[in-house]
Amino acid sequence: MCVAHLNQAASDIFAMTMRQRIVPYLLLLPALVLLLVFNLLPTIATIVESTFVISLRSGERVFAGFANFERIFNDPIFWKSLQVTVVFSLVVNPLQIALSLGLSMLMNQRLPGIGIFRSIYLLPVAVSLNVTAIVWRLLLDKNTGMINGILFNMGIERQPFLHSPDQALWSIILIASWIGVPLWSLFILAGLQNIPPPVLEAAKIDGANAWQSFTRVTLPLLRRVLAFVLVADTVANFLLFAPILLTTQGGPQLSTNLILYETYRRGFLYGDLGASAAMLSVMLLIVFVIVGVELYVLRGSD
Amino acid sequence: MNAHVTRRARRNRKPLRAYLLPALVYCLLIIGVLIVVIPLMWAAAASFTPNHKVFEYAYPFSWRALLPVDFTLEAYENIFARGFGQSITNTLFLAFVTVFVGGAANALAGFAFGRFEFRGKNALFMVIVMLTFLVPVDLTAIPRYILINNFGWINTWQGLLVPGLANSLVIFLFRQFFAEIPQELIDAARVDGASWLRVLWSIVLPISKPVLVAAGLLMFISQWNSFFWPLLVAPRQELRVVQVEISLAVGQYGTIWNELLAGSMIAAIVPILLVMPFQRYYVQAITGTGLE
Repeated sequence: MCVAHLNQAASDIFAMTMRQRIVPYLLLLPALVLLLVFNLLPTIATIVESTFVISLRSGERVFAGFANFERIFNDPIFWKSLQVTVVFSLVVNPLQIALSLGLSMLMNQRLPGIGIFRSIYLLPVAVSLNVTAIVWRLLLDKNTGMINGILFNMGIERQPFLHSPDQALWSIILIASWIGVPLWSLFILAGLQNIPPPVLEAAKIDGANAWQSFTRVTLPLLRRVLAFVLVADTVANFLLFAPILLTTQGGPQLSTNLILYETYRRGFLYGDLGASAAMLSVMLLIVFVIVGVELYVLRGSD
Repeated sequence: MNAHVTRRARRNRKPLRAYLLPALVYCLLIIGVLIVVIPLMWAAAASFTPNHKVFEYAYPFSWRALLPVDFTLEAYENIFARGFGQSITNTLFLAFVTVFVGGAANALAGFAFGRFEFRGKNALFMVIVMLTFLVPVDLTAIPRYILINNFGWINTWQGLLVPGLANSLVIFLFRQFFAEIPQELIDAARVDGASWLRVLWSIVLPISKPVLVAAGLLMFISQWNSFFWPLLVAPRQELRVVQVEISLAVGQYGTIWNELLAGSMIAAIVPILLVMPFQRYYVQAITGTGLE
Protein backbone atom coordinates (compact mmCIF):
# COMPACT_ATOMS: atom_id res chain seq x y z
CA MET A 1 0.00 0.00 0.00
CA CYS A 2 2.64 2.38 1.16
CA VAL A 3 4.99 1.30 -1.58
CA ALA A 4 2.27 1.65 -4.16
CA HIS A 5 1.65 5.12 -2.90
CA LEU A 6 5.31 6.01 -3.20
CA ASN A 7 5.40 4.53 -6.65
CA GLN A 8 2.41 6.59 -7.58
CA ALA A 9 4.09 9.73 -6.25
CA ALA A 10 7.32 8.91 -8.07
CA SER A 11 5.55 8.34 -11.33
CA ASP A 12 3.61 11.56 -10.83
CA ILE A 13 6.87 13.46 -10.40
CA PHE A 14 8.32 11.61 -13.35
CA ALA A 15 5.29 12.48 -15.48
CA MET A 16 5.51 16.08 -14.34
CA THR A 17 9.20 16.47 -15.15
CA MET A 18 8.64 14.74 -18.47
CA ARG A 19 5.88 17.20 -19.20
CA GLN A 20 8.12 20.01 -18.02
CA ARG A 21 10.83 18.86 -20.37
CA ILE A 22 8.71 18.73 -23.45
CA VAL A 23 7.05 22.11 -22.85
CA PRO A 24 9.75 24.18 -24.62
CA TYR A 25 9.75 21.79 -27.57
CA LEU A 26 5.99 22.03 -27.88
CA LEU A 27 6.20 25.81 -27.80
CA LEU A 28 8.86 25.77 -30.50
CA LEU A 29 7.18 23.20 -32.68
CA PRO A 30 4.89 25.32 -34.92
CA ALA A 31 7.42 28.01 -35.77
CA LEU A 32 10.28 25.56 -36.10
CA VAL A 33 8.44 23.21 -38.46
CA LEU A 34 7.44 26.15 -40.64
CA LEU A 35 10.98 27.49 -40.74
CA LEU A 36 12.45 24.10 -41.55
CA VAL A 37 9.97 23.34 -44.32
CA PHE A 38 9.81 26.76 -45.95
CA ASN A 39 13.30 28.12 -45.28
CA LEU A 40 15.78 25.34 -44.65
CA LEU A 41 14.38 22.86 -47.16
CA PRO A 42 14.39 25.35 -50.07
CA THR A 43 17.97 26.28 -49.20
CA ILE A 44 19.04 22.67 -49.55
CA ALA A 45 16.82 22.32 -52.61
CA THR A 46 18.60 25.24 -54.28
CA ILE A 47 21.88 23.40 -54.09
CA VAL A 48 20.34 20.08 -55.13
CA GLU A 49 18.36 21.66 -57.97
CA SER A 50 21.51 23.25 -59.37
CA THR A 51 22.77 19.77 -60.28
CA PHE A 52 19.72 18.88 -62.37
CA VAL A 53 18.66 19.85 -65.86
CA ILE A 54 15.35 19.39 -67.67
CA SER A 55 16.11 17.14 -70.61
CA LEU A 56 15.02 18.68 -73.90
CA ARG A 57 14.30 15.30 -75.44
CA SER A 58 12.14 13.70 -72.74
CA GLY A 59 11.21 16.73 -70.61
CA GLU A 60 12.44 14.81 -67.55
CA ARG A 61 14.61 16.07 -64.74
CA VAL A 62 18.04 14.56 -65.19
CA PHE A 63 21.04 14.65 -62.87
CA ALA A 64 23.72 16.72 -64.54
CA GLY A 65 26.53 17.16 -62.02
CA PHE A 66 28.20 20.49 -62.55
CA ALA A 67 26.78 21.03 -66.03
CA ASN A 68 24.63 23.98 -64.93
CA PHE A 69 27.60 25.64 -63.28
CA GLU A 70 29.73 25.06 -66.38
CA ARG A 71 26.95 26.59 -68.43
CA ILE A 72 26.64 29.76 -66.36
CA PHE A 73 30.39 30.14 -65.94
CA ASN A 74 30.73 30.08 -69.73
CA ASP A 75 27.90 32.55 -70.13
CA PRO A 76 28.91 36.19 -70.73
CA ILE A 77 25.48 37.40 -69.57
CA PHE A 78 26.04 35.84 -66.15
CA TRP A 79 29.48 37.45 -65.83
CA LYS A 80 28.15 40.78 -67.03
CA SER A 81 25.37 40.53 -64.43
CA LEU A 82 27.86 39.70 -61.69
CA GLN A 83 30.04 42.59 -62.81
CA VAL A 84 27.10 45.03 -62.72
CA THR A 85 26.19 43.74 -59.25
CA VAL A 86 29.75 44.23 -57.97
CA VAL A 87 30.01 47.77 -59.37
CA PHE A 88 26.56 48.57 -57.99
CA SER A 89 27.51 47.18 -54.54
CA LEU A 90 30.82 49.02 -54.42
CA VAL A 91 29.04 52.32 -55.06
CA VAL A 92 25.72 51.95 -53.30
CA ASN A 93 26.87 50.49 -49.98
CA PRO A 94 29.58 53.03 -49.03
CA LEU A 95 27.34 55.81 -50.34
CA GLN A 96 24.32 54.72 -48.30
CA ILE A 97 26.34 54.12 -45.16
CA ALA A 98 28.14 57.48 -45.36
CA LEU A 99 24.86 59.32 -45.93
CA SER A 100 23.11 57.30 -43.20
CA LEU A 101 25.87 58.13 -40.75
CA GLY A 102 25.53 61.82 -41.63
CA LEU A 103 21.74 61.77 -41.41
CA SER A 104 21.74 59.93 -38.09
CA MET A 105 24.17 62.45 -36.60
CA LEU A 106 21.91 65.27 -37.75
CA MET A 107 18.88 63.54 -36.24
CA ASN A 108 20.80 63.00 -33.00
CA GLN A 109 21.16 66.76 -32.39
CA ARG A 110 19.17 68.08 -29.46
CA LEU A 111 17.34 70.83 -31.27
CA PRO A 112 13.75 72.04 -31.11
CA GLY A 113 11.53 70.27 -33.63
CA ILE A 114 13.94 67.38 -34.20
CA GLY A 115 11.11 64.91 -33.55
CA ILE A 116 9.23 66.24 -36.58
CA PHE A 117 12.27 65.64 -38.78
CA ARG A 118 12.65 62.11 -37.42
CA SER A 119 8.99 61.42 -38.24
CA ILE A 120 9.34 62.70 -41.80
CA TYR A 121 12.44 60.59 -42.40
CA LEU A 122 10.40 57.55 -41.36
CA LEU A 123 8.12 57.97 -44.40
CA PRO A 124 10.37 56.21 -46.97
CA VAL A 125 10.96 53.38 -44.49
CA ALA A 126 7.22 52.62 -44.36
CA VAL A 127 6.67 52.89 -48.13
CA SER A 128 7.39 49.78 -50.23
CA LEU A 129 10.18 49.52 -52.77
CA ASN A 130 7.55 49.07 -55.50
CA VAL A 131 5.85 52.36 -54.78
CA THR A 132 9.24 54.06 -54.61
CA ALA A 133 10.25 52.55 -57.95
CA ILE A 134 6.97 53.52 -59.65
CA VAL A 135 7.08 57.11 -58.40
CA TRP A 136 10.76 57.58 -59.28
CA ARG A 137 10.27 56.00 -62.68
CA LEU A 138 7.84 58.82 -63.48
CA LEU A 139 9.97 61.49 -61.77
CA LEU A 140 12.94 60.38 -63.88
CA ASP A 141 10.95 60.23 -67.13
CA LYS A 142 13.24 61.30 -69.93
CA ASN A 143 10.71 63.61 -71.58
CA THR A 144 8.48 65.20 -68.99
CA GLY A 145 9.69 63.94 -65.61
CA MET A 146 9.93 66.38 -62.74
CA ILE A 147 13.69 65.93 -62.31
CA ASN A 148 14.18 66.97 -65.93
CA GLY A 149 11.73 69.81 -65.23
CA ILE A 150 13.93 71.05 -62.39
CA LEU A 151 17.03 70.68 -64.58
CA PHE A 152 15.23 72.66 -67.32
CA ASN A 153 14.56 75.47 -64.84
CA MET A 154 18.26 75.50 -64.03
CA GLY A 155 19.14 75.65 -67.72
CA ILE A 156 20.45 72.10 -67.92
CA GLU A 157 19.42 69.95 -70.87
CA ARG A 158 17.27 66.82 -70.58
CA GLN A 159 18.91 63.66 -69.25
CA PRO A 160 17.82 60.15 -70.32
CA PHE A 161 18.32 58.63 -66.81
CA LEU A 162 16.78 55.12 -66.86
CA HIS A 163 17.02 54.97 -70.66
CA SER A 164 20.77 55.42 -70.87
CA PRO A 165 23.31 52.63 -70.30
CA ASP A 166 25.53 55.21 -68.59
CA GLN A 167 22.91 56.64 -66.24
CA ALA A 168 20.49 53.80 -65.55
CA LEU A 169 22.54 52.15 -62.80
CA TRP A 170 22.98 55.52 -61.09
CA SER A 171 19.23 56.05 -61.26
CA ILE A 172 18.72 52.66 -59.59
CA ILE A 173 21.23 53.67 -56.91
CA LEU A 174 19.20 56.83 -56.31
CA ILE A 175 15.94 54.87 -56.03
CA ALA A 176 17.45 52.29 -53.64
CA SER A 177 19.02 55.01 -51.51
CA TRP A 178 15.81 56.99 -51.14
CA ILE A 179 14.61 54.13 -48.91
CA GLY A 180 18.00 52.81 -47.80
CA VAL A 181 19.49 55.95 -46.29
CA PRO A 182 16.58 56.73 -43.91
CA LEU A 183 16.29 53.03 -43.04
CA TRP A 184 19.93 52.44 -42.09
CA SER A 185 20.18 55.78 -40.33
CA LEU A 186 17.57 54.46 -37.86
CA PHE A 187 20.02 51.75 -36.79
CA ILE A 188 22.93 54.16 -36.50
CA LEU A 189 20.77 56.65 -34.60
CA ALA A 190 19.86 53.92 -32.12
CA GLY A 191 23.58 53.23 -31.76
CA LEU A 192 24.36 56.92 -31.22
CA GLN A 193 21.70 57.13 -28.54
CA ASN A 194 23.35 54.25 -26.73
CA ILE A 195 26.55 56.25 -26.26
CA PRO A 196 26.42 57.65 -22.72
CA PRO A 197 26.71 61.48 -22.84
CA PRO A 198 29.40 61.53 -20.08
CA VAL A 199 31.76 59.72 -22.48
CA LEU A 200 31.56 62.54 -25.00
CA GLU A 201 31.73 65.18 -22.26
CA ALA A 202 34.88 63.56 -20.91
CA ALA A 203 36.44 63.77 -24.37
CA LYS A 204 35.51 67.44 -24.55
CA ILE A 205 37.05 68.15 -21.15
CA ASP A 206 40.21 66.40 -22.29
CA GLY A 207 40.42 68.97 -25.06
CA ALA A 208 39.16 66.93 -28.03
CA ASN A 209 37.62 69.00 -30.82
CA ALA A 210 34.47 67.89 -32.63
CA TRP A 211 36.36 65.94 -35.30
CA GLN A 212 38.57 64.19 -32.76
CA SER A 213 35.67 63.17 -30.55
CA PHE A 214 33.86 61.89 -33.66
CA THR A 215 36.76 59.78 -34.95
CA ARG A 216 38.19 58.67 -31.61
CA VAL A 217 35.08 58.25 -29.46
CA THR A 218 31.89 58.08 -31.53
CA LEU A 219 33.08 55.93 -34.42
CA PRO A 220 34.77 53.24 -32.28
CA LEU A 221 31.64 53.00 -30.12
CA LEU A 222 29.52 52.63 -33.25
CA ARG A 223 31.64 49.80 -34.59
CA ARG A 224 29.18 47.02 -33.85
CA VAL A 225 26.23 48.91 -35.28
CA LEU A 226 28.17 49.97 -38.36
CA ALA A 227 29.35 46.41 -38.95
CA PHE A 228 25.77 45.18 -38.75
CA VAL A 229 24.49 47.91 -41.05
CA LEU A 230 27.29 47.29 -43.52
CA VAL A 231 26.42 43.62 -43.85
CA ALA A 232 22.64 43.99 -43.77
CA ASP A 233 22.85 46.79 -46.34
CA THR A 234 25.20 44.77 -48.55
CA VAL A 235 22.91 41.74 -48.48
CA ALA A 236 19.78 43.85 -49.09
CA ASN A 237 21.34 45.61 -52.08
CA PHE A 238 22.77 42.34 -53.36
CA LEU A 239 19.17 41.09 -53.55
CA LEU A 240 17.64 44.21 -55.08
CA PHE A 241 14.84 43.13 -57.39
CA ALA A 242 11.60 45.13 -57.47
CA PRO A 243 13.06 48.43 -58.75
CA ILE A 244 14.73 46.60 -61.64
CA LEU A 245 11.54 44.77 -62.62
CA LEU A 246 9.52 47.98 -62.44
CA THR A 247 11.91 50.35 -64.18
CA THR A 248 14.55 48.96 -66.53
CA GLN A 249 14.06 45.16 -66.60
CA GLY A 250 17.83 44.84 -66.61
CA GLY A 251 18.40 47.17 -69.54
CA PRO A 252 19.44 49.23 -71.36
CA GLN A 253 22.11 46.89 -72.73
CA LEU A 254 22.07 44.82 -69.49
CA SER A 255 23.52 47.83 -67.62
CA THR A 256 21.16 47.28 -64.67
CA ASN A 257 20.84 43.49 -64.91
CA LEU A 258 21.52 42.83 -61.23
CA ILE A 259 22.07 39.22 -60.25
CA LEU A 260 18.75 38.43 -58.56
CA TYR A 261 16.90 39.84 -61.55
CA GLU A 262 19.03 37.65 -63.82
CA THR A 263 18.09 34.50 -61.84
CA TYR A 264 14.42 35.51 -62.09
CA ARG A 265 14.78 36.06 -65.84
CA ARG A 266 16.43 32.66 -66.30
CA GLY A 267 14.11 30.76 -64.00
CA PHE A 268 10.75 32.32 -64.69
CA LEU A 269 10.88 34.09 -68.03
CA TYR A 270 13.04 31.49 -69.82
CA GLY A 271 12.08 28.49 -67.67
CA ASP A 272 15.71 27.46 -67.16
CA LEU A 273 15.43 26.47 -63.50
CA GLY A 274 18.75 24.57 -63.50
CA ALA A 275 20.80 27.61 -64.49
CA SER A 276 18.74 29.75 -62.16
CA ALA A 277 19.44 27.41 -59.23
CA ALA A 278 23.14 27.31 -60.08
CA MET A 279 23.25 31.12 -59.97
CA LEU A 280 21.36 31.13 -56.69
CA SER A 281 23.90 28.67 -55.28
CA VAL A 282 26.71 31.01 -56.29
CA MET A 283 24.80 33.87 -54.63
CA LEU A 284 24.32 31.79 -51.47
CA LEU A 285 28.07 31.27 -51.36
CA ILE A 286 28.68 35.01 -51.77
CA VAL A 287 26.23 35.83 -48.97
CA PHE A 288 27.94 33.22 -46.75
CA VAL A 289 31.27 34.93 -47.34
CA ILE A 290 29.84 38.40 -46.63
CA VAL A 291 28.16 37.27 -43.41
CA GLY A 292 31.23 35.26 -42.42
CA VAL A 293 33.26 38.46 -42.65
CA GLU A 294 30.63 40.19 -40.51
CA LEU A 295 30.81 37.58 -37.77
CA TYR A 296 34.58 37.89 -37.83
CA VAL A 297 34.44 41.67 -37.49
CA LEU A 298 31.83 41.51 -34.72
CA ARG A 299 33.88 38.97 -32.79
CA GLY A 300 36.93 41.24 -33.00
CA SER A 301 35.12 44.08 -31.27
CA ASP A 302 33.99 42.23 -28.17
CA MET B 1 49.62 89.63 -26.33
CA ASN B 2 49.15 87.24 -29.16
CA ALA B 3 47.60 84.68 -26.88
CA HIS B 4 45.34 87.37 -25.49
CA VAL B 5 44.05 88.28 -28.95
CA THR B 6 43.32 84.73 -29.97
CA ARG B 7 41.56 84.09 -26.69
CA ARG B 8 39.39 87.12 -27.28
CA ALA B 9 38.74 86.08 -30.85
CA ARG B 10 37.69 82.68 -29.64
CA ARG B 11 35.36 84.19 -27.07
CA ASN B 12 33.82 86.38 -29.74
CA ARG B 13 33.45 83.51 -32.13
CA LYS B 14 31.64 81.29 -29.72
CA PRO B 15 28.17 82.89 -29.77
CA LEU B 16 28.33 82.99 -33.56
CA ARG B 17 29.22 79.32 -33.71
CA ALA B 18 26.45 78.55 -31.30
CA TYR B 19 24.03 79.86 -33.93
CA LEU B 20 25.86 78.62 -36.98
CA LEU B 21 25.92 74.97 -36.05
CA PRO B 22 22.16 74.56 -35.47
CA ALA B 23 21.49 76.65 -38.58
CA LEU B 24 23.67 74.32 -40.62
CA VAL B 25 21.98 71.26 -39.08
CA TYR B 26 18.53 72.63 -39.89
CA CYS B 27 19.60 73.49 -43.46
CA LEU B 28 20.87 69.97 -44.11
CA LEU B 29 17.83 68.40 -42.46
CA ILE B 30 15.52 70.52 -44.61
CA ILE B 31 17.35 69.54 -47.80
CA GLY B 32 16.85 65.91 -46.81
CA VAL B 33 13.18 66.52 -46.04
CA LEU B 34 12.68 68.04 -49.49
CA ILE B 35 14.23 64.94 -51.08
CA VAL B 36 11.87 62.74 -49.05
CA VAL B 37 8.71 64.80 -49.33
CA ILE B 38 8.74 66.27 -52.86
CA PRO B 39 8.46 62.89 -54.66
CA LEU B 40 5.59 61.87 -52.39
CA MET B 41 3.83 65.23 -52.72
CA TRP B 42 4.11 65.15 -56.51
CA ALA B 43 2.85 61.55 -56.63
CA ALA B 44 -0.08 62.36 -54.34
CA ALA B 45 -0.97 65.51 -56.26
CA ALA B 46 -0.67 63.76 -59.63
CA SER B 47 -2.95 60.95 -58.45
CA PHE B 48 -5.69 63.60 -58.01
CA THR B 49 -5.05 65.12 -61.44
CA PRO B 50 -6.59 64.28 -64.84
CA ASN B 51 -4.22 62.00 -66.72
CA HIS B 52 -3.38 64.44 -69.51
CA LYS B 53 -2.29 67.02 -66.93
CA VAL B 54 -0.11 64.75 -64.77
CA PHE B 55 3.15 66.20 -66.09
CA GLU B 56 1.82 69.69 -66.80
CA TYR B 57 3.62 71.45 -63.96
CA ALA B 58 6.44 68.93 -63.65
CA TYR B 59 8.21 70.00 -66.85
CA PRO B 60 9.07 72.84 -66.63
CA PHE B 61 8.83 72.51 -62.87
CA SER B 62 6.54 74.78 -60.90
CA TRP B 63 5.28 74.54 -57.34
CA ARG B 64 1.84 73.71 -58.65
CA ALA B 65 3.19 70.25 -59.48
CA LEU B 66 3.08 69.53 -55.75
CA LEU B 67 -0.55 70.48 -55.23
CA PRO B 68 -3.65 68.96 -56.86
CA VAL B 69 -4.64 72.18 -58.66
CA ASP B 70 -6.92 70.39 -61.15
CA PHE B 71 -8.46 68.19 -58.49
CA THR B 72 -10.32 65.07 -59.62
CA LEU B 73 -11.08 61.66 -58.14
CA GLU B 74 -11.20 60.11 -61.61
CA ALA B 75 -8.07 57.95 -61.14
CA TYR B 76 -9.32 56.48 -57.85
CA GLU B 77 -12.80 55.85 -59.25
CA ASN B 78 -11.31 54.07 -62.27
CA ILE B 79 -9.02 51.75 -60.36
CA PHE B 80 -11.77 50.78 -57.93
CA ALA B 81 -14.12 50.20 -60.84
CA ARG B 82 -11.50 47.83 -62.22
CA GLY B 83 -11.35 45.83 -58.97
CA PHE B 84 -8.56 47.43 -56.97
CA GLY B 85 -10.71 47.01 -53.86
CA GLN B 86 -10.35 43.23 -54.16
CA SER B 87 -6.57 43.46 -53.88
CA ILE B 88 -6.89 45.63 -50.77
CA THR B 89 -9.21 43.11 -49.12
CA ASN B 90 -6.86 40.27 -50.09
CA THR B 91 -3.82 42.01 -48.65
CA LEU B 92 -5.62 42.99 -45.44
CA PHE B 93 -6.80 39.41 -44.99
CA LEU B 94 -3.26 38.05 -45.48
CA ALA B 95 -1.78 40.66 -43.18
CA PHE B 96 -4.26 40.02 -40.35
CA VAL B 97 -3.89 36.24 -40.52
CA THR B 98 -0.10 36.63 -40.54
CA VAL B 99 -0.21 38.92 -37.52
CA PHE B 100 -2.46 36.67 -35.46
CA VAL B 101 -1.54 33.12 -36.50
CA GLY B 102 2.10 33.81 -37.35
CA GLY B 103 2.38 36.11 -34.35
CA ALA B 104 1.19 33.35 -32.02
CA ALA B 105 3.66 30.81 -33.43
CA ASN B 106 6.53 33.29 -33.24
CA ALA B 107 5.61 34.41 -29.73
CA LEU B 108 5.52 30.81 -28.45
CA ALA B 109 8.93 30.14 -30.01
CA GLY B 110 10.29 33.38 -28.59
CA PHE B 111 8.99 32.37 -25.15
CA ALA B 112 10.69 28.98 -25.37
CA PHE B 113 14.03 30.58 -26.31
CA GLY B 114 13.70 33.39 -23.79
CA ARG B 115 12.54 31.45 -20.70
CA PHE B 116 13.54 27.79 -20.92
CA GLU B 117 16.71 25.78 -20.68
CA PHE B 118 16.48 22.63 -22.77
CA ARG B 119 18.69 20.27 -24.68
CA GLY B 120 19.60 21.48 -28.13
CA LYS B 121 18.52 25.05 -27.39
CA ASN B 122 21.72 26.64 -28.61
CA ALA B 123 21.91 24.42 -31.67
CA LEU B 124 18.31 25.17 -32.64
CA PHE B 125 18.81 28.84 -32.05
CA MET B 126 21.93 28.84 -34.20
CA VAL B 127 20.02 27.15 -37.02
CA ILE B 128 17.40 29.89 -36.93
CA VAL B 129 20.00 32.64 -36.72
CA MET B 130 21.90 31.15 -39.65
CA LEU B 131 18.77 30.75 -41.71
CA THR B 132 17.82 34.35 -41.09
CA PHE B 133 21.10 36.01 -41.81
CA LEU B 134 22.72 33.62 -44.25
CA VAL B 135 19.74 32.76 -46.40
CA PRO B 136 17.53 35.75 -47.15
CA VAL B 137 14.03 34.61 -48.17
CA ASP B 138 14.18 36.14 -51.64
CA LEU B 139 17.24 34.04 -52.40
CA THR B 140 15.38 30.77 -51.91
CA ALA B 141 12.14 31.90 -53.51
CA ILE B 142 12.52 29.76 -56.62
CA PRO B 143 13.08 26.41 -54.84
CA ARG B 144 10.32 27.40 -52.41
CA TYR B 145 8.13 27.92 -55.43
CA ILE B 146 8.96 24.39 -56.63
CA LEU B 147 8.12 23.04 -53.16
CA ILE B 148 4.80 24.89 -53.09
CA ASN B 149 4.12 23.60 -56.57
CA ASN B 150 4.64 20.02 -55.30
CA PHE B 151 2.11 20.73 -52.54
CA GLY B 152 -0.31 21.89 -55.25
CA TRP B 153 -0.46 25.30 -53.58
CA ILE B 154 0.24 27.57 -56.58
CA ASN B 155 -2.52 30.17 -56.84
CA THR B 156 -3.94 29.35 -53.42
CA TRP B 157 -4.26 31.21 -50.13
CA GLN B 158 -2.09 28.59 -48.41
CA GLY B 159 0.71 29.19 -50.89
CA LEU B 160 0.62 32.92 -50.24
CA LEU B 161 0.24 32.67 -46.50
CA VAL B 162 1.91 29.67 -44.92
CA PRO B 163 5.57 30.23 -45.94
CA GLY B 164 5.51 33.70 -44.36
CA LEU B 165 3.97 32.77 -41.00
CA ALA B 166 7.16 31.91 -39.13
CA ASN B 167 9.42 34.95 -39.03
CA SER B 168 12.75 34.63 -37.33
CA LEU B 169 13.16 38.38 -36.81
CA VAL B 170 9.89 38.38 -34.90
CA ILE B 171 11.04 35.34 -32.88
CA PHE B 172 14.16 37.33 -31.88
CA LEU B 173 12.04 40.28 -30.90
CA PHE B 174 9.84 38.15 -28.60
CA ARG B 175 12.79 36.23 -27.19
CA GLN B 176 14.55 39.44 -26.21
CA PHE B 177 11.47 40.83 -24.49
CA PHE B 178 10.47 37.62 -22.69
CA ALA B 179 14.00 37.06 -21.42
CA GLU B 180 13.77 40.33 -19.48
CA ILE B 181 10.55 39.55 -17.58
CA PRO B 182 11.36 39.16 -13.84
CA GLN B 183 11.46 35.48 -12.84
CA GLU B 184 9.44 36.15 -9.64
CA LEU B 185 6.36 37.03 -11.66
CA ILE B 186 6.41 33.68 -13.40
CA ASP B 187 7.42 31.67 -10.32
CA ALA B 188 4.51 33.06 -8.32
CA ALA B 189 2.04 31.83 -10.88
CA ARG B 190 3.79 28.49 -11.31
CA VAL B 191 3.70 27.82 -7.55
CA ASP B 192 -0.03 28.40 -7.68
CA GLY B 193 -0.13 25.51 -10.14
CA ALA B 194 -0.84 27.46 -13.30
CA SER B 195 0.07 25.71 -16.54
CA TRP B 196 2.55 27.33 -18.92
CA LEU B 197 -0.14 28.32 -21.35
CA ARG B 198 -2.05 29.91 -18.48
CA VAL B 199 1.11 31.77 -17.37
CA LEU B 200 1.60 32.99 -20.92
CA TRP B 201 -1.99 34.07 -21.30
CA SER B 202 -2.69 35.75 -17.97
CA ILE B 203 0.73 36.86 -16.67
CA VAL B 204 2.99 37.42 -19.65
CA LEU B 205 0.56 38.66 -22.28
CA PRO B 206 -0.86 41.60 -20.29
CA ILE B 207 2.60 43.09 -19.70
CA SER B 208 3.80 42.49 -23.26
CA LYS B 209 2.04 45.35 -25.03
CA PRO B 210 5.24 46.99 -26.34
CA VAL B 211 6.54 43.82 -27.98
CA LEU B 212 3.11 42.86 -29.31
CA VAL B 213 2.66 46.24 -30.97
CA ALA B 214 6.20 46.17 -32.35
CA ALA B 215 5.95 42.61 -33.68
CA GLY B 216 2.44 43.20 -35.02
CA LEU B 217 3.55 46.28 -36.94
CA LEU B 218 6.59 44.50 -38.31
CA MET B 219 4.55 41.55 -39.55
CA PHE B 220 1.64 43.60 -40.85
CA ILE B 221 3.80 46.02 -42.82
CA SER B 222 6.12 43.39 -44.21
CA GLN B 223 3.08 41.44 -45.42
CA TRP B 224 1.43 44.58 -46.82
CA ASN B 225 4.64 45.48 -48.67
CA SER B 226 5.53 41.95 -49.80
CA PHE B 227 5.89 41.60 -53.52
CA PHE B 228 8.35 39.02 -54.85
CA TRP B 229 6.69 35.97 -53.29
CA PRO B 230 3.06 36.83 -54.19
CA LEU B 231 4.23 37.71 -57.70
CA LEU B 232 5.68 34.23 -58.13
CA VAL B 233 3.17 32.10 -56.30
CA ALA B 234 -0.23 33.67 -56.92
CA PRO B 235 -0.54 35.42 -60.26
CA ARG B 236 -4.28 34.64 -60.42
CA GLN B 237 -6.41 37.77 -60.52
CA GLU B 238 -8.63 36.89 -57.53
CA LEU B 239 -5.60 36.44 -55.26
CA ARG B 240 -3.67 39.56 -56.23
CA VAL B 241 -2.20 41.64 -53.46
CA VAL B 242 -1.79 45.40 -53.61
CA GLN B 243 1.90 45.47 -54.46
CA VAL B 244 1.47 42.98 -57.31
CA GLU B 245 -1.57 44.82 -58.62
CA ILE B 246 0.24 48.16 -58.87
CA SER B 247 3.33 46.56 -60.39
CA LEU B 248 1.30 44.80 -63.08
CA ALA B 249 -0.38 48.12 -63.87
CA VAL B 250 3.07 49.44 -64.81
CA GLY B 251 3.10 47.03 -67.73
CA GLN B 252 -0.58 47.03 -68.63
CA TYR B 253 -1.66 50.60 -68.00
CA GLY B 254 1.80 52.14 -68.20
CA THR B 255 0.57 55.38 -69.69
CA ILE B 256 -2.41 55.93 -67.39
CA TRP B 257 -0.09 57.62 -64.95
CA ASN B 258 -2.69 59.04 -62.59
CA GLU B 259 -4.16 55.56 -61.99
CA LEU B 260 -0.72 54.08 -61.48
CA LEU B 261 -0.04 56.76 -58.89
CA ALA B 262 -3.47 56.41 -57.27
CA GLY B 263 -2.77 52.71 -56.65
CA SER B 264 0.70 53.53 -55.39
CA MET B 265 -0.66 56.15 -52.99
CA ILE B 266 -3.10 53.64 -51.51
CA ALA B 267 -0.25 51.14 -51.19
CA ALA B 268 1.83 53.80 -49.43
CA ILE B 269 -0.73 55.38 -47.13
CA VAL B 270 -1.65 52.24 -45.17
CA PRO B 271 1.81 51.59 -43.70
CA ILE B 272 2.36 55.33 -43.21
CA LEU B 273 -0.86 55.67 -41.19
CA LEU B 274 0.11 52.63 -39.12
CA VAL B 275 3.67 53.71 -38.47
CA MET B 276 3.11 57.36 -37.59
CA PRO B 277 1.16 56.88 -34.33
CA PHE B 278 3.43 54.02 -33.23
CA GLN B 279 6.80 55.41 -34.35
CA ARG B 280 8.68 54.42 -31.25
CA TYR B 281 7.46 50.83 -31.39
CA TYR B 282 8.14 50.53 -35.08
CA VAL B 283 11.66 51.92 -34.86
CA GLN B 284 12.30 49.59 -31.95
CA ALA B 285 10.92 46.65 -33.93
CA ILE B 286 13.21 47.38 -36.86
CA THR B 287 16.37 48.21 -34.96
CA GLY B 288 15.83 45.85 -32.01
CA THR B 289 16.38 42.80 -34.20
CA GLY B 290 19.73 43.97 -35.45
CA LEU B 291 21.37 45.47 -32.41
CA GLU B 292 21.33 42.58 -30.02
